[in-house]
Amino acid sequence: MSTPPGQRPPAAPAPIDDVGEFLVHALELEHESAAHYEQLADSMEVHHNHEVAALFRRLAQLSDEHATSIGERARGVALPRIAPWEFKWNCPGGGPEGGDCLHGDVSYQMSAVQALELALHNETRGHAFYAHTASDSDDAEVRELAAEMSAEEAEHLKLLEDLLAQEHHRDDAPLEDLDPPHMPA
Amino acid sequence: MDASAIPTLNAKDYKSDIKPVWCPGCGHFGVLSALTKALAYLGLAKQDVALISGIGCSSRLPAYVNSYGFHGVHGRALALASGLKAARPDLTVIAAGGDGDGFSIGGNHFLHACRRNMDLTYVVMDNEVYGMTKGQASPTTQPDWNHSKLTPHGTGVRRFQPAAIALAAGASFVARGFAGDPNGLSHLLTQAIEHPGFGFVQVLSPCQTFRPEQKHWKQMVHPCQLGPTHDAARAAELIQRDDGMALGILYAEQLPIYSSTHDAHASLDLIEAEFEL
Repeated sequence: MSTPPGQRPPAAPAPIDDVGEFLVHALELEHESAAHYEQLADSMEVHHNHEVAALFRRLAQLSDEHATSIGERARGVALPRIAPWEFKWNCPGGGPEGGDCLHGDVSYQMSAVQALELALHNETRGHAFYAHTASDSDDAEVRELAAEMSAEEAEHLKLLEDLLAQEHHRDDAPLEDLDPPHMPA
Repeated sequence: MDASAIPTLNAKDYKSDIKPVWCPGCGHFGVLSALTKALAYLGLAKQDVALISGIGCSSRLPAYVNSYGFHGVHGRALALASGLKAARPDLTVIAAGGDGDGFSIGGNHFLHACRRNMDLTYVVMDNEVYGMTKGQASPTTQPDWNHSKLTPHGTGVRRFQPAAIALAAGASFVARGFAGDPNGLSHLLTQAIEHPGFGFVQVLSPCQTFRPEQKHWKQMVHPCQLGPTHDAARAAELIQRDDGMALGILYAEQLPIYSSTHDAHASLDLIEAEFEL
């Protein structure tokens, strides 16, 4: 969101210095991500783009697995309730993996490459959030946990980059649209 | 149901099993996300929420939310919602739809719902186009938009100003949100639902297919400069001066709420008997 002329940009949120608060952020990030990929997979299925639907479904599963493992770490930790608009997504790019719901060339005709590029954008932001918290927090335990999760996100990024490299070698024709929108030239 | 007995629900619990048929990339997904987050934050039991809509892409929303819902006829979401609220004031009633449904076909209902000030929420997903019928100009479309075969030279008609008209018609809560910011929008929706009276939220919700240029809204939206105000004259000035992209609560005031003050004089059986053929 842009800042109107003459207005100061909003102040950056305070760092996350509590383990419970950090885990709630991590859980939200992964749940948002899984929900976003599930929604994209559903959309692609509805519009008969089954290959990309399967890809998004797989990405959703990865996020779900990550959320489950964070949930296990959160066992026994007091988790605060945070309103959706009060999360401290204080990192370059801002926002959790799925928050930027209008990013990218999302369309029913999107290719696997475009889907992977979108996922890469999302996971990069997730990685940035963890890396930022790992360096920004005043709490040693939060820093350690965030660094661990940042390393896990880096693995996801590597996986996506490898998949993207494989897909770039394919030379698929774009999906044919039998009922395109009627727009004058 | 006793509020303390309601299990904690998250946004996902308010999503139904029906897969949206909206185009991938449609802004309405952000509205669905924001609404389910708001319902979860408010801890509303699913059976205590009713989502009422008219016709159009955005009016499919009730199918995708796991609450009571009614997908009504074109432009009549507010008429249905008002009737339901009068009969069941205990329910949280949310009307939803698009700019064509709400401001053209249902324009008259909009005016009178604003001035009646029943305790309900109206969410208009404004993409400045009739999307379901493949891209015609709507009341909020720019006069020179010529990308439809129906209006090859544009409509030449000034745009309908939803916030200004809602305020002039007597709405007690007027806000504008952006579908690309589901978390910020969930905050506005939460406040609109909690507001005692008619809460109107105009949501800038880009149409990926027929208005692809709206992708740039993300760079154009900005926070409302003056913030929420209880002063209608100040709000009117703010709304007239703004570029239509200012987000936040533009006006909020406690005004008398319309509610049914008379008990029914006839039983339901008697009324039904009168309708028998």
